[in-house]
Amino acid sequence: MNQMMKTTLLSLALMACYSCSAQRFMTRNGNVNFFSETPIENIEATNDMASGLLTDEGRFAFRVPILGFRFEKALMEEHFNENYMESTRYPNGTFEGSIDGWKESMKDGQWHEVIAQGVLEIHGVKNAREIPSKIKWSDSAWKIQTTFTVATADHEIPVPKMVRNKIAESIDVSVELTLTAQ
Amino acid sequence: MKTRRIQPIEMRSLWLVLLIVALGTASHAQSLLDDLGPAEAIPHPVFATFKDTRIINVQSNETPGKNVMHFVIAHRFGQINEGAYSLWGLDNASMRMALDYGLTDRLCAGVARSTLQKTFEGSVKWKALQQQSDGSIPIGVTFYAVGMARGDSVFANSEESRIFSNRLSYTYQAIMSRKFSDKLSLAVIPSFTHRNLVEFINNSHDQWTLGTGGRYKIAQRLSLNAEYHFLLKGLPEAARNSLSLGVDIETGGHVFQLHITNSRGMFERAFLTETTGRWSEGALFFGFNLSRVFDF
Repeated sequence: MNQMMKTTLLSLALMACYSCSAQRFMTRNGNVNFFSETPIENIEATNDMASGLLTDEGRFAFRVPILGFRFEKALMEEHFNENYMESTRYPNGTFEGSIDGWKESMKDGQWHEVIAQGVLEIHGVKNAREIPSKIKWSDSAWKIQTTFTVATADHEIPVPKMVRNKIAESIDVSVELTLTAQ
Repeated sequence: MKTRRIQPIEMRSLWLVLLIVALGTASHAQSLLDDLGPAEAIPHPVFATFKDTRIINVQSNETPGKNVMHFVIAHRFGQINEGAYSLWGLDNASMRMALDYGLTDRLCAGVARSTLQKTFEGSVKWKALQQQSDGSIPIGVTFYAVGMARGDSVFANSEESRIFSNRLSYTYQAIMSRKFSDKLSLAVIPSFTHRNLVEFINNSHDQWTLGTGGRYKIAQRLSLNAEYHFLLKGLPEAARNSLSLGVDIETGGHVFQLHITNSRGMFERAFLTETTGRWSEGALFFGFNLSRVFDF
């Protein structure tokens, strides 16, 4: 065996070891819903194009394309993208952070209450957030569920006075992900 | 001898290994979001080419959307060069009310009434082609057909104008639009107008115009609009090209359109073929459209 081959094998072995130490779980069709409730009008939208990535150290990244939200009415969808989210300028909502209190021992098939700690970016505005979530290991996949609120003002989403009685100041968001080993 | 020759190669190998590990660690330290891969572009029909269903006078490519009632109340004041006596035209307002209903997201039907010539309108508008965000369809094509019925007599003391069918005229348009950027949208709009009754035997029943229109957004809810119609064929000597300039102000549920134009009429036959004033003479009219949508 010559020196070059030894080098290559050693490198490969190191890299393999390195990647096995960082196993990753991923999804590309996670589900996101949001709900805006006011006495005048309820607005609901769903999206099944969210991506999520979880490392076995509990680091977590999440991204949802804003243009993927579907509404009951085409006009709502247009106003959402054009007037409020400016989706062509800010195409994604993201979260990046880690799961507080992450333990390998959570792989017991039970739901565990955890806190996702990190940065939520919507409409190009970043907010540090602590989002209570649930996580469960089932069928060799991590399931994550969470509901939280997003205040339009926190992300500089302009809501004109005339429609303030139709659009809630805080939007309820729910996320459901099933992350499988990569 | 031999070992001494191998030594430097092993050193080099060691450096190579270290480099690979270092690179691996470096990529690991990057944002985890990057590891999600590039965000997928979501192809969709281009939306909000124009803020309203009209650019100023002429129809834009937009329709109200399914089960949406679009109500427009429009005012056109008198000629600005009438001077102070009639408060630069503000004493004489003419009005148009229109109701358009979205049968599907791409098809709507409407009725309207104008003070001018006591005109009723019935119209159909269909987005035949929608511009797509991925460029697979580069322009939108919308068809508009409107029938107009005059309520007053077409010509004074004319027996012929008492016959209903003689009060009718029709305009057919193809609105070819493209949203070039978030801010800039342009449209090219050929129009064909047919009138059942003409004043003189040598006047044409069929008239052709070619329009252009556009908008430029200067703020999230504010845009500058303009439209111009060239007279092409079949028009009387006195007819002039119609030029209108305006602004759109969107206030959530409402769109205000304020404009100055040399056309008095707010329905197609009038502003396309019966514009007689020139901008250079100050034969201008101030007007506004106020639109409101109702969901059902």
